[in-house]
Amino acid sequence: MTALVTGATGFLGGAFVARLLAHGNGRIRCLVRPGSRTTVLERLAAGQSRVSLLRGSLASPDAAQVALDDADVVYHLAAGTGGAAADLFLNTVVASKNLLEAMVLRRARLPKVVLVSSFGVYGTAGLARGALIDEDTPLEPNPERRDLYSQAKLRQERLFREYRKRHGFPLVVLRPGVIYGPGGTPISSRVGLPVPGLFLHLGGRNLLPLTFVDNCAEAIVVAGEQSATDGQTYNVVDDDLPTCADYLRHYQREVRTLRTLRVPYPFTQALSWLCERYYQYSQGQLPAFFTSYRSATTWAGNRFSNAKLKSLGWRPIVSTEEGLRRTFAVLCNSAPAANAAG
Amino acid sequence: MNANSQPRAERPLRVAVVGCGKIADGHVDEIRKMPEQAQTVAVCDREGLMAEQLAARFAIPAHYDDFGQMLRQERPDVVHITTPPQSHAPLALQALAAGCHVYVEKPFALDRAQAAQIVAAAEEHGRKLTVGYSSLFDPPVLRLRELVAAGVVGEVLHVESFYGYNLDGPFGKALLADPGHWVRGLPGQLFHNIIDHMLNKIVEFVPDDAPQVTAIARALRPARAGDGRDTLMDELRVLVRGRRVTGYGTFSSHIRPAAQFVRVYGTRNIAHVDLLARTVTLESSPKLPSAIGRLVPPFEQAGALLGQGLSNIGRFLRSDFQYFAGMRRLMSLFYDSILDDGPLPIAYRDILRISQIMDDIFSQIRAQNAVAEGST
Repeated sequence: MTALVTGATGFLGGAFVARLLAHGNGRIRCLVRPGSRTTVLERLAAGQSRVSLLRGSLASPDAAQVALDDADVVYHLAAGTGGAAADLFLNTVVASKNLLEAMVLRRARLPKVVLVSSFGVYGTAGLARGALIDEDTPLEPNPERRDLYSQAKLRQERLFREYRKRHGFPLVVLRPGVIYGPGGTPISSRVGLPVPGLFLHLGGRNLLPLTFVDNCAEAIVVAGEQSATDGQTYNVVDDDLPTCADYLRHYQREVRTLRTLRVPYPFTQALSWLCERYYQYSQGQLPAFFTSYRSATTWAGNRFSNAKLKSLGWRPIVSTEEGLRRTFAVLCNSAPAANAAG
Repeated sequence: MNANSQPRAERPLRVAVVGCGKIADGHVDEIRKMPEQAQTVAVCDREGLMAEQLAARFAIPAHYDDFGQMLRQERPDVVHITTPPQSHAPLALQALAAGCHVYVEKPFALDRAQAAQIVAAAEEHGRKLTVGYSSLFDPPVLRLRELVAAGVVGEVLHVESFYGYNLDGPFGKALLADPGHWVRGLPGQLFHNIIDHMLNKIVEFVPDDAPQVTAIARALRPARAGDGRDTLMDELRVLVRGRRVTGYGTFSSHIRPAAQFVRVYGTRNIAHVDLLARTVTLESSPKLPSAIGRLVPPFEQAGALLGQGLSNIGRFLRSDFQYFAGMRRLMSLFYDSILDDGPLPIAYRDILRISQIMDDIFSQIRAQNAVAEGST
């Protein structure tokens, strides 16, 4: 059994390769971009022959064709996480197309594909506050009104489904919530956003759909191992989710104190409305930091289900309490910074 | 049908964009701010997904992955070429032959020969052509031009143009990591993609057809990759010698802040244009004698900067402090030149002179590298 992993040098990727090593005894081939740091992967690969690194980019199908070789399963974690719209689409959607093209060009027997997508694909803006998000929640009906990351992930998922329909390979999609852990983003934008000298606490008592990086990695492995998952989608969130306020309180106690300003949701919406109007009036002189639609998708507040994932036998291997403790312990020892991304 | 006999284009011009990378966003966004002059009717990228995403985000009615098909079906009045420079010449020639006016993003072409070929094709087909030297139309540069035209600077004798660049950004990181990055395939590599912005401010004031050029280049960042990627040059100094006016250009990836400014030295005053802060200030000779004369200039400078700052606040409040102000102005002037058959915003002679200076710079760098390799 050979697994090809893309995105292995990322925050989730390193944890994923470690979990894959902990399961089974197959070979793990990581396709890593030229210039990417491979310290974590090299540490994992040291002393055993199961993990190999192949340098190559998904900017064309060429490297993927070589990397696919005898792969039985492809774990596609690679995606853009920031930058300009074109960069995000190139690194997320076009990279995926190149992988898929390499698959269908080279392979007589197509591998199973496990795609790591995102909660960002759900169309939550039209849902009532507190609505349950599960795998039956409709996809975003207005991608152009969402953030660029969500737009790219939506198109990426659609691309994989188009190719699956045409070429018939097994496909399972995982949609993680907020992936956290040591080395990850300190504070999700669902909790709030930093402005100079102040942290705008926008999430309040909303549940924070956390998944500890090892738990998320475990979910990907479990979904990849089981044949019954073909054609299925699984949301990935942990048990015992904290509220945004809990998270922020815990962060401040364990890491550092922030000057916070709690912004109730109606005020967030009012601010978003003003931002949008100014953006239109000024013809984009300042970016639309907030829009009503995006605010509704991020800060209106929802509940989250992991029941379907649990039906595969997945259980969090690290409790939320322990996950937060480990995350904050690392943050406490590193340069403190409230990062809004994620 | 001969392109020269085509009917004059009508408002709004039908614009098509080929190349749906980062800068295409700026083009499409600026075009939609001038709906009476132009509208984007289609976008094209050989990677169809890139064309699709741009069309989806800006509600553009059509997108293509075949340039020829787009030209045939959409019959645009104007084509904006925002692809990597390697494809500028073939796309421009194809668009001109199809009867389109063409806006080419900088750098205009791979070398002067290609640039001359494009210009000749535009003249042959009776179509208009411009290049994305948008910073020449940013408000502070327009102000500088007014000051020079009014004689405030006096006779210009020297120009200094500084362009700071940050290789730590997403583009720089991708370039440094990827040995196959398209920028590495340009004759002047990193410099080729950027220094139009540095050179066009110099060329504007150096009137000579073929000024002498002296260039030195270096790679000052630490070698990290341990292979050919480390040889990419990241610092450039250029001396341009005209018969009467000289120019000095600095491109730096390491000097911080990564400033962008122009200093124009005249017989009456020195004008300093900060392209990022968008200020234009004058340095004058002391008007008062002795120590008193040395006390006054800092206050004059402070007053001038305060005035510029307040003026910029006024512009901001009027929503006239846009990032792509120069690009919008350039597009508007180009579209006017098409619609009214008026003068072009950028003379072909300047495009060709800049292409020649770039050729000279890159050939000198190649020669320096050859000597360096020979001595190791």
